Amino acid sequence: MNPTANTGGPSAPGQDSMILFSNINKWYGDYQALADINAEVRKGEVVVVCGPSGSGKSTLIRTVNRLEDVKSGQLLFDGHDIQAPMRSAALNKLRSRIGFVFQSFNLFPHLSVLDNIMLSPMRVLGVKRADAKAKAGRLLERVGLSNKAGAFPAQLSGGQQQRVAIARALAMEPPAMLFDEPTSALDPEMVGEVLSVMRGLADEGMTMMCVTHEMNFAREVADRIWFMDAGRILETADPQTFFNRPQHPRAQRFLSDLRAH
Amino acid sequence: MFGILDILRDNWLLLLIGQYPSGPLGGFAATLILSVLGITLAFPLSVLLALARLSHWKALQWPATVLVYIVRGVPLLMIILWVYFLLPLAIGREISGFNTMLCTLVLYEGAYLSEVVRAGIVSLPQGQAEAARALGNGWLGTMRHVILPQALYNMLPSMLSLFVATIMDTTLGYVINVQELTFAANQINNQLLTKPFQVFFILAMSYYVVCFSLTQLARWLERRIARKRRGAAVPAALAGQLEPLDSLPPSVATHA
Amino acid sequence: MKGFDLLAILLKQEFIEMLLHGIALTLQIAVGSWLLAMAVALLLLVIRLTGNPVAERAVAAYVSYHRNVPTLVQLMLWYFGIFSLLPDVLQAWLSDHNAEALLSIVALGLCQAAFFSEDMRSGLRAVPPGQAEAARALGHSYFGAMRHILLPQAIRNAVPALVNHTVSLFKNSSLAMAIGVAELTHAVKEIENQSFRAFEAYSVATFLYLFFSLLIMAAGAWVARRWRVTAAR
Repeated sequence: MNPTANTGGPSAPGQDSMILFSNINKWYGDYQALADINAEVRKGEVVVVCGPSGSGKSTLIRTVNRLEDVKSGQLLFDGHDIQAPMRSAALNKLRSRIGFVFQSFNLFPHLSVLDNIMLSPMRVLGVKRADAKAKAGRLLERVGLSNKAGAFPAQLSGGQQQRVAIARALAMEPPAMLFDEPTSALDPEMVGEVLSVMRGLADEGMTMMCVTHEMNFAREVADRIWFMDAGRILETADPQTFFNRPQHPRAQRFLSDLRAH
Repeated sequence: MFGILDILRDNWLLLLIGQYPSGPLGGFAATLILSVLGITLAFPLSVLLALARLSHWKALQWPATVLVYIVRGVPLLMIILWVYFLLPLAIGREISGFNTMLCTLVLYEGAYLSEVVRAGIVSLPQGQAEAARALGNGWLGTMRHVILPQALYNMLPSMLSLFVATIMDTTLGYVINVQELTFAANQINNQLLTKPFQVFFILAMSYYVVCFSLTQLARWLERRIARKRRGAAVPAALAGQLEPLDSLPPSVATHA
Repeated sequence: MKGFDLLAILLKQEFIEMLLHGIALTLQIAVGSWLLAMAVALLLLVIRLTGNPVAERAVAAYVSYHRNVPTLVQLMLWYFGIFSLLPDVLQAWLSDHNAEALLSIVALGLCQAAFFSEDMRSGLRAVPPGQAEAARALGHSYFGAMRHILLPQAIRNAVPALVNHTVSLFKNSSLAMAIGVAELTHAVKEIENQSFRAFEAYSVATFLYLFFSLLIMAAGAWVARRWRVTAAR
């Protein structure tokens, strides 16, 4: 884990900045979903974004690959401003370099597990079928599902589907992975298998940004925690500091509510 | 294409009421009467068929199911020929084309309407029937006072759609010389001979105006009923303009 | 009334020929119009997907017309109306080449195309929005996403409705009788005229229609089973 400054302010976009939010604002009509977001995810860092429902965590992570637009501000992914106007071909190319894992998996039900993983490298990156197949096989092994290569998503459990979804995203060899509440739709007994895959990724040095409610995971794997409420990042800290000595009153309330269970 | 206005001006009466009074009532009036009578008489038949298909007695369920499948699998024209042939034999005297068509429509639309009624009954939450039975109502009482009123109200838009389909089916009466709108148009064409496109364009547009208006009415009804039932915002699908009615069961939505 | 004597019909050479000819024509019209309907429906879908508002309204008008005008009237408009507007050369060529059957295929095909395109459109709307999001997130282009991810699911969703409409299309082939095509219904009407055996003649036709309709429905069920797409979660 890298030692980090206990502020949410952006450092100058240096060589090691992967995701950089500068003065990001977003409104849905009159409602402000994101307010003055300034934050940075450095290369190799694992950032966990937490907070109460409606705090804007999902909206925030979805702006990174432009599944959501922003009203103002600059969002740099690996040096490219992804929210700037650009041709769709350029946007698609950028997106292919950002791994995204959805809460509802969104596997393609008409394709087998192997085809799900192979499709995008072949069609978007132009990888040859044999290479794509080999890579898919290796990724399936990595997430522990080699024996399910020929199965269809409907035949898998939620935890298995999510692991396939992670493999599908990894197949594009992205420099960073985004997780939008990856375990929230899973039955409790399947949460562990997905988290352990994510833990493995973190150990290998993958840059990760996760929106999650899994506080143990955050405590053990995250380099930094961003606490959000009402569209703002109210506190950023390393896990030790955040969980033991939260500064912001709302963060304190959030954590005490959690412990009350 | 200015011939269209002239043709309309000269023949509007024929198109509207056929050769009445020097012949039977025809034209659009006949189409309307045929459709209204057809769907009205088909209604009780459809309720009986639907109940038969939903009943637990195989003796009732199987014949009803077979009848519906036959109607779905055989062209309307074929059924018209059957009725034209069998009905006089059954009754013992000749039947006019109009009455033949009427009986065919009652049978044909009755079968399709029974699918609508069946879907309406089945789509009600089970709790309705359970509550009614728990209060002591018998099967028939439950049907009469609790299930059918709700089911039929919910299926009003679908029934309206089926009425539109009935209007369109009346055109087949032309083949057995029933004097309805299509027959009238063909009469005009056989007289004029030089403007077939204009004549049939008028015919097509007449049906279009009527059927389109009724279909829009059905959609409006569907939105209103959905709003009443759900009370919340209308789902996007129902707000669409050209979607087939969502409440229409698939076998009926594809009514030939 | 004479007893039910199927063989009186089936053994007569002339009647067999009429029946076979009728069946052949019915199948030709059904298959021809189905192919035309599918092709036009896909075209309409593509036009709709461009998002151009004028295109959208044009397609909507096409669908609205074909769904609110009776099929028989559409057939008449084509055969009596539009045919007369065609240049003489084309009229002559058509008359030599079975104009009735060809125009039937055109009329029935274009009519059912409206229904097929609506079925596909509903099928597309039934694909969960998460699928398009996942496709975008992975970097697929709009057309790539359509081709590999969205349209395959849309078609699978549309299969039941498409099958029902295919049965309708098949039944509509009988309408061609009204413009003189000697298809199956016309054939048995002729046989009845000549043999006075309505019961037998009609039974044969009814059996054949039922057979093919049920065959289509069974084929549809088989396709639906093979392509069973449990809803994407």
